[in-house]
Order: sequence, then structure tokens, then C-alpha cells
Amino acid sequence: MTLRVDGLTVRFGGNTAVDGATFEAPLGRVTGLIGPNGAGKTTTFNACSGLLRPSAGQIRLSGKDVTAMVPSARAQRGLGRTFQRMELFDSLTVEQNVAIGREARLARSRPLKQLWCPPAERTEVREATEEALELCEIGALRRETAGSLSTGQRRLVDLARVLAGGFTMLLLDEPSSGLDTAETKRFGEIVIRVVAERGCGVLLVEHDMALVMSVCEYLYVLDFGELIFEGTPEQVRASDVVRAAYLGSEAA
Amino acid sequence: MFELDSITAGYSGSVVLRDVSLWVPPRSVVALLGANGAGKTTLLRVASGLLKPSAGRMRLDGVDVTGKPPHVLARHGVCHVPEGRGVFPHLTVRDNLTIQATGGSAAEAVERAVSAFPILGEKLNQQAGALSGGQQQMLALAHAYVIDPSHVLLDEVSMGLAPVVVDEIFESLAKLAASGCALLLVEQYISRALELADYAYLITRGGIEFAGEPGELDGDQLTAKYLGTPLRS
Amino acid sequence: MTDLLPFLVIGLTTGSVYGLAAMGLVLTYKTSGIFNFAHGAIAALAAYAFYEVKVVRGLPWPVALLVAVVVLPPLVAMLMERVTRALAGATTTMKIVATIGIQLIITGALLAHYGAAGLTFPAFLPADTIELFGVYVGIDQLVSACVAALGALGFFVFFTFSPLGVRMRAVVDDPDLLSLAGTSPFAVRSWAWLIGSHFAAISGVLLAPLIGLDALLLTLLVVQAYGAAAVGLFASLPMTYAGGLLIGVLAALATNVVSGSVVLSGLPPAMPFLVLFAVLLLAGKRRLVDIGATRPTPPQPPLLGPRTARIVALVVIGIGIAVPFLVGAKLPVYANALVFVLIFSSLQLLVRTSGQVSLAHAGLVAVGAATFSHLAVGAGLPWLVAVLLAGAVAVPVGALVAIPAIRLSGLFLALATFGFGLLLENVVYRTGLLFGASGSLPAPRPDGLGGDLPFYYVLLGFAVAGVLLVAAVGRSRLGRLLRAMADSPTSLATLGLGVNVTRVTVFGISAFLAGVAGALYASQGHSATGTPFTSFTSLTWLTVLVLCGAARSAAPLAAAIVFAVLPAYGGGEADGSSGWMPVLFGVGALLVALHESSARRGRSHVSAEWPTGSRAAERIGSPGRAAARERVAHRDVDSAVRVRVGAAGGAR
Ligand SMILES: Nc1ncnc2c1ncn2[C@@H]1O[C@H](COP(=O)(O)OP(=O)(O)OP(=O)(O)O)[C@@H](O)[C@H]1O
Ligand SMILES: Nc1ncnc2c1ncn2[C@@H]1O[C@H](COP(=O)(O)OP(=O)(O)OP(=O)(O)O)[C@@H](O)[C@H]1O
Ligand SMILES: [Mg+2]
Ligand SMILES: [Mg+2]
Repeated sequence: MTLRVDGLTVRFGGNTAVDGATFEAPLGRVTGLIGPNGAGKTTTFNACSGLLRPSAGQIRLSGKDVTAMVPSARAQRGLGRTFQRMELFDSLTVEQNVAIGREARLARSRPLKQLWCPPAERTEVREATEEALELCEIGALRRETAGSLSTGQRRLVDLARVLAGGFTMLLLDEPSSGLDTAETKRFGEIVIRVVAERGCGVLLVEHDMALVMSVCEYLYVLDFGELIFEGTPEQVRASDVVRAAYLGSEAA
Repeated sequence: MFELDSITAGYSGSVVLRDVSLWVPPRSVVALLGANGAGKTTLLRVASGLLKPSAGRMRLDGVDVTGKPPHVLARHGVCHVPEGRGVFPHLTVRDNLTIQATGGSAAEAVERAVSAFPILGEKLNQQAGALSGGQQQMLALAHAYVIDPSHVLLDEVSMGLAPVVVDEIFESLAKLAASGCALLLVEQYISRALELADYAYLITRGGIEFAGEPGELDGDQLTAKYLGTPLRS
Repeated sequence: MTDLLPFLVIGLTTGSVYGLAAMGLVLTYKTSGIFNFAHGAIAALAAYAFYEVKVVRGLPWPVALLVAVVVLPPLVAMLMERVTRALAGATTTMKIVATIGIQLIITGALLAHYGAAGLTFPAFLPADTIELFGVYVGIDQLVSACVAALGALGFFVFFTFSPLGVRMRAVVDDPDLLSLAGTSPFAVRSWAWLIGSHFAAISGVLLAPLIGLDALLLTLLVVQAYGAAAVGLFASLPMTYAGGLLIGVLAALATNVVSGSVVLSGLPPAMPFLVLFAVLLLAGKRRLVDIGATRPTPPQPPLLGPRTARIVALVVIGIGIAVPFLVGAKLPVYANALVFVLIFSSLQLLVRTSGQVSLAHAGLVAVGAATFSHLAVGAGLPWLVAVLLAGAVAVPVGALVAIPAIRLSGLFLALATFGFGLLLENVVYRTGLLFGASGSLPAPRPDGLGGDLPFYYVLLGFAVAGVLLVAAVGRSRLGRLLRAMADSPTSLATLGLGVNVTRVTVFGISAFLAGVAGALYASQGHSATGTPFTSFTSLTWLTVLVLCGAARSAAPLAAAIVFAVLPAYGGGEADGSSGWMPVLFGVGALLVALHESSARRGRSHVSAEWPTGSRAAERIGSPGRAAARERVAHRDVDSAVRVRVGAAGGAR
């Protein structure tokens, strides 16, 4: 279920946040999307997940044009995402947060499905929840209210929730910001493991270059909404354009 | 000189900080390290008056300021750049800067902020909530530049910023410190923070585990004390 | 055209006062995040204060004016600032309920003390007329309009150019952050309330000579203010003032157009709501930002364990069965209370389970009552069929109310539903469409069960079924999704849920219950009329339900007892909407709202087992997990540190 973005353009009034971006995130690979602050990465994510209508361009999921679909319909087709400013269900517990990740997807847009949860689905939700809690190692937090967690803990809950959803294409927006060093490392392992085990695809936006370079197989670099470079991490590290626009001393 | 003396604090029903003492000497940079959920943010909230400690004293340049509200501390030169949402999302960038300037000249505030973060100059009339994540972080950090604070408390300010910008920010923090302002720094880029710092504190599960010069904390000791035990839960 | 001119002038003079009132409303809303439903009541209070000093005490009018617009507003402002502070971080529902509580207190007290009949307000401005553009205008009207216009202008200039203006807008975004920037949020908010209360008081004193001294009418001034505020999208002050003028003129013109038509006579008073409704429907969601909307309350832990709860429920049903043998002649009171159990259950589903506020519930119940009568008497359908169909008919009406709910949330939903309720009451009730030309329709009871005693048991059955249904929905998947939706609909949508479907579904279920309750109410009282179902009733219901919120899932039962049973033993009033009862409800609701938000701020996230010590430390408690994690961490840490250190090291 490849995600393909073709000539995506998003304008806010006068200024263009994304300008004709074209890229592809196939299954079984971690694809990186990097670029300076305000380059249009989050905007691209919003357009992909349907929270924004693009001014031009197409978004395809496994060949099917989804540009006009509402967010929930895209999620039904296997597109999941996290938010740069984590949008947790603050009044629910960690466990409930993660469980909703699966349940929302099962309930879809059908009134009866939303009302009633068949026993088979109940088991499915429980299993998915346990697996995601285990994977992110936040089982000990399961009874805490999400609103009372520290920033780093919230990141992990956000990740666990989208993992429980069983999506085939994950858009992760700065998932490691706020995580401490050990946890960032751990996060990298989770991503690699999920991709290997589930065969899903990941599109990753990150500013932590150590992480990006170690988990991504292929990178796209955005600047002022335009794609300025693409290639493997080594090529990106070696590129003068990218160094000037984005990496600075990190590339050294 | 900002002194926190045997602070105990938390959220009703749960104590997060136990008997924490911390000094920020004049003109110095103090790094505060700790794993996720250790209580770093909570400590900064106490220091700026957002959270009242249940026990302990706070002194600012010798004056007891325990329990003083944040706006009083702010007028005494304490500038806290909070973690995450440090901007007024429904106000324009310009209005955000005006408010940060507390009674000072709005035009000058804008000028200083723009010279620190040029991109803000292009967005002055945009609502702060519509800025990119990193731009919002810059706007929040601009607070330290538009006033002349005596003490700046920074909570993970480099979060969500591009590497080039992080370089710039650390450079400008060094300048800020050189100009005589004391910094209390919570950072995810540990080694960078340590490079800049005169003193370092390591906080573990709400208690101070180490206090001293960053040199003593290097290498193995850092690994063992800070990261060797899994603090995340 | 020329014959419209007088209406235009009248419209502009009243509209100017509306505009002033609306600016006060918008100001306090923008700075406190609290939409003050009591704004009109404050105006009424000022007008009555003037009356008290001038007429009752017989002092000269300048003294009265001084008391009404100089002495009174700061007192009100002080109260409101306290309330605002106490409500920091409260849910939208609680904020709405708190100010509705204040409104009930003021209005109820005025009604109970001065009586419901309108009093004549002493004219204190010269009543001569002068000619203006060929129209004769009263000097008093002209003075009112000018005072209001000057006040509005002066304030606008102040708000735009004073640094306080920007801070007033900042305080609601994030008071903590404002405080970090060196400004006291308390001081900023006090100023806002001071100005807002003054505007309310002045408009009350200016308006009273025009519309007479009537507590309810003056309270509904807030209604005109809502409409005006909506024109300004609850944000722009100049547009708000313009909205006031617009509504004044529209209402005056409508009076001219509809004079003579009985059917449309309700149109002028409903004008602000048409405007409000139109704006809410037409304005894009992004343009209406619910200021200061915060997270909803975390689910309250149940009072009782599941087993105890079941036993208690059975005991309650047992008492319900025994009631007819214990209460003698008061049986109809209890039968009525059972209907209210159903009504409050349906409201509970919306307010508590889904965190949405509906102020049109009385309208839905009325629709159910009328439909039942038409079907059972008019179409001759069997009783049970007619009852269920009455519920079914209320569903599309509920869905109609839910249209704004789909796009809007929180406060705007409350306002839209309130507008919808008033529209029903002012226009639809009067057309005879619902309750016929006489305003009252017959309503039968089921064959063979028509006696008071058997019918009581029929009602008991419905009430039990309704409560069970609501409890089941709360525990179902829908209940979980609704609680999550109250926090973040956006992330629910990106997780794959059709959130609009969810909202309409819950509104539909609630409307069905309300419709059935309406049918039963009519059946119990042998007739269907709109009189008991005004929008004021909707407000009272909501406050009573919130008042009983501590009873958790038993709240509908408690609310029914408070609303329908207690008054019968008190002053012998028919129900809880007359006499001093509303005042009591208001006080209660205000206290509950304040208490709940303070409990929320100080909510403990930890169980009492760990009175001291770090939570983080406690959590690592289980040795097996910690040890396992330690192993993983040890293996990884070295390289992790090196990566970061290496990356940063390059900086030099
Ligand atoms: N709603 C909006 N209205 C106006 N401009 C916007 C809006 N949202 C984003 N922008 C602008 O579009 C540009 C791209 O923003 P975006 O959030 O996509 O950046 P980003 O690449 O995610 O940056 P960061 O790494 O800082 O999060 C920015 O300049 C931002 O100011
Ligand atoms: N509002 C709150 N109510 C209750 N507990 C809280 C609240 N905020 C934080 N905590 C708890 O206090 C502890 C310390 O949190 P704090 O935010 O200070 O951590 P931190 O060191 O800043 O972590 P991070 O690096 O993830 O930001 C955590 O266990 C957290 O769950
Ligand atoms: Mg972004
Ligand atoms: Mg923190």
C-alpha cells in the first residue's frame, strides 16, 4: 500500500507552505522527510491524512486517488498518523487511549458498529492494546490518566495508540522530540521492528539526525515547501545543498 | 543568585520533587539533566512560581520569594520559557512579542526578536497557532531576548528545531550567558548542554542524584548514573 | 420607504443599546473564556436597583442612577471574577451551567420578590420629541442611543490602543503564560469584568424605559446580545455593535411587516435567534473558535462497586413499586416524576456521556407530546405504537439540532440549541402546527391501563427501561468513543472513526428518549400543550441535572426527585420552575460547578496507597520488569550516548 504524493501544493492565503512536492513511501521501508522549520512537513502530513485540502496535487494510496476523501476514510484504508503536538485523549487512561486506537478503526462510520462491539472484536482490541503497550514499554503506566504524564511519556502513548490501530502506512511527526536519549534509541528499534514484522511502511519527520540516519533507508529533503534533494542517508549527508539549508554542523 | 532550598513539590496527591536543593549562581549556566518523568519540568515550574512548593524556600538575590506568583518573579527578572506550548495561539506574532516585552516598547521587542529569529519578521501578523512547530518554539524562546532577564529558565527549547537552528540557539545562549545572565537549562542534547554549563545537576525520580561540575559527570559516570538505570516507566 | 423610516429609527435606538450590551458580553467572553448567560440578568438587576431606589425609597433619580450604574457593577464584577478564577480549567459544560445558575438566581429572586407582572419604570429622561429626518424621535430614545454609541466607541478605542487590550486577549489563551510574562492575569480579568458589568448595567437602565420593568424580558436582553455577538463571530467588537444595530432594525421592521399576522407574530422576538442560528450555520468552523475550551472532566469513578450498585438499583425499583401504597393522593406527582426520570436520562446521555450541551431539550419533549396526540387521537393509532412513533419523529428533529453539533462544539452548540429552542417556542408553538389552534390537544392513556395506579406502573416500566438504555450506551463502545471524542475529535478521525456519525447517533438516541418522554407526559396529563416546555425550562433542567451530578448514573433519578417531587412537598408548587425554586437550583448548580472544577484542578492521579514519595519511583516497583528493562538499557545506552555525543561534538 504505497503512499504516493504527486505535485502537492498547499497555500495559506498568500504564502505557499508546500510547493509541488512529489515523493513516495512504499511498504517495508522507513522513508524520511526532513527539512528546516517551516519547510512544510507537518502541512504535508495534514494534506496526506486529510485534515487539509491541498490547493493542487494528488495523494494516492496503493494507486487509488484519496485526495478528496475525509480523514476517517483514509484511515480505514490503512493510513495512520501521530501529531507533532500530541493529541491524546487526556481524560482517559493510557490503556484506554491505546485501545481506542484499534476501536476507532473497527467502529468506522457505521452507527451499529459504533454502538456495539462484538466479542471477537473485543478480543482483537485487547490483544492489539497489550501488544502496543508491550512494544512501547509503557505497560506500567496503563492506569495513569494521559493528561498527567510528562512530555516524553506522552510521546510513547501517542506512538502506542497508532501502533494498536494496525495501520499499514504510518506517518510519524517528530515522534522522538521530548524523549530522552535511551528512549530515542529504543524508539528507533521499535520502528525498525514494526516495519520488519508487520511489513508496513513508515514516513518519518524528525529533527534528530542521529535517529534519522540510523533508521531511514531513503530520505526526502524539503525546503520552503519544495523538494530540494532525495537519496540515501549517505548521499544526503554528503550533499552540500542539504548541509547549507538544514544540517549545519550535524553533517560533519 | 537564585537559590532553591529543600524544595518538596508535586501535584495534589502525588509528590514529584523531594527535598531538592539547587543553586544558580550569578552569570553561570546550570544544566539540569534527568530521564523522562524525572521532574525537570516540575522543578522549573516551581522556580518560576507556577507551582507552589509544599515545603522549602526560594531566594532570589537574597530576597525570599517563596510562594510569590509568577508575574512578580517575572518582574524581578526571572524568565521561564516553558516546555511545549509557550505561545498565545490566538494572538498574532506581534502581539505575542508585545506581551513578552511587559510594558517595554513593542517596536523594540519586535526588533530584538527578529534579529534573533529572522523568520519571525515575515510572520508578524500571522496567528501564532498557525506557525510551524519550530517557529512557535522560536517565538517562545524570543521571550529571553526581548527583555533583559537576570535568570532564564529554559525547558527543552531545542525540541522540534532543525539542527542548524539548534546550532544557532546554542551559540546565542552562550552569548546570553556571557552578557551576564544566569541560565538554568533543561535539554535533550545532553552533551551540548554540558559543554555550555558551569554546573550540572542530575535529577532522578524527583531527587538530586548528582551536583557538580560537568567534567565530573562525563563519560562512564554519566552513562552509569543517568542512563544505565532505566528511569522511564 | 418613508413609512419604514420610523421603524428604522426605533430599530437603531434600541439596536444601539443591544450593541452596547453585546460588547460587554463579548469582552467578558474573550477575556475569561466564560460566556456569561447571566449578562441580561445583570442588566435586569441594575434596572430593578434603579426602581428600588427611585420608586420604593423615593430618592431622586440621580441617586438611583448612581446606585445602578456606579455602585452595583463593581460588586457584580468582583463576584464574576471570583467565579472565573474558580472555574479555571473547568469544562465548557460547567462554565455554561455556572452562569446559567447565576442567571436563575438573579432572575428567580427578582421574580419572587417583585412579582412576575411588569412594573412601570419611572421615566427619568425628558420625554419630549424632536424631529429628525422627518421623523419624530423621543429625546430619551435619542439620549439612550447616543450614550450607548459613545460608550461603544470609547471602549473600542481603548481596547484597540491600550496595552491592556492585547493582554485581555492573551489572558484567556493561557493565564499561566501571561503571568510568566510579568502581567497578573487576575488584574486583567478584573478590568474586563468591571467594564462588562458596567455595560450590562447601563444597557439595563436604558432599556427598561423602552420595554418596561419585567425581569424575564430584561433577562432575555442577553438573547439580543447573543445575536449581535454572533454577527461579530464572538470576537470582533465593532461587528458586534453593528450586529446590535442590525438586530434592532430587523426586529423593528419585522414588527411592521408581521403586524396583523397571528402566525408570524412570534417572529420579531425570535429575530436575534434567526440571526444567531444563521451565523452559526453559515460561518466556517475555523472562524468560530471556542475560547478557553478545555478538556472535559475525566470519567468519575463510580460511587459503588458493580454488585452493590445492582443491589441498590433493585432496592430502588422495589421502592418504585411500593410508592403508590405509601403516598396516597400524591400519586400523580410521582407518576410525573417517572416521566422526568426519562427526560433527565436522555439529557444525561448528551451532557454527561458525550459532553455536549443541549438547551433545546424542552422543545424535543414538546415535539414528542404533540406528535403523540396527533397520532393517537388524530390518526387513531394504538397507544404504544403512537408513543414509540413520537420518539421516532423526535429523532429527525434532534438530527436537525445536531447539524450544528456536527460542525460546532461546546459553547456554540449550546447557543445554537438554545436558539433552536426559542425558535420552536416563539414561532412553531404559536402556529398551531404542533398544538393546534387552541394550543392544547387531547392525549389518551392506554386501553385498560388508564387508571392512575396501572398507568403509574406503565410509566415505571418506561423509566426503568430508559435508565437501563442510557447506562448500556455509556458502557458500550459508543460511550468509550464519546469520551475520547470530547478530548480530541481530530485524532479520532485520523484513527478511522466517522465522528459525525457518532455525534448524530448520540443525538438521535437522546432525542428518541425525549420524544417518548413527551408522549408519556402528555398521556399522564391527558393533554398536550407547549406551556411547560419553554427554553427557560431547558435551562432549568440542565442546571438540575448538573446539580445532581454527584449521583453519577443515578443523577436522572435524583434530578427527577428534586425537580418534580420536592416542590410538591414544599410550597405546593406544581413543579420546579416557579417561586423561589429556580433560585435554589441556581445556587446549587453554581456551587456544584465551582466545586467540580476545583476538585478537577486538584485531582489526584494517584491512589491513596502512596501518600508520599515520587510516583516515578513507585512505578518502577515491579522488579521483574525493571530488571528486564535494565538489561536492554545497558546494552543500548553506550551506543546511544555516543550517537548523540558524537553528533553534538561536531559542533565545535
Ligand atoms: N494554518 C496556517 N495558516 C497560515 N500559515 C500556515 C498555517 N499552517 C502552517 N503555515 C505556514 O506554513 C509553513 C509550513 O509549516 P509546517 O507546519 O508544515 O512546517 P514544518 O515543516 O512542519 O516545520 P517544523 O519542523 O517547525 O514543525 C510555515 O511557514 C507556517 O508558518
Ligand atoms: N499535572 C500533573 N498532575 C499529576 N502528575 C503530573 C502532572 N504533571 C507531571 N506529573 C508527573 O510528575 C512526574 C514528573 O513530570 P515532569 O513533567 O516534571 O517530568 P520531566 O522530567 O519534565 O519529563 P520529560 O523529560 O518527559 O519532560 C511524572 O511522573 C508525571 O507523570
Ligand atoms: Mg512540523
Ligand atoms: Mg519536561
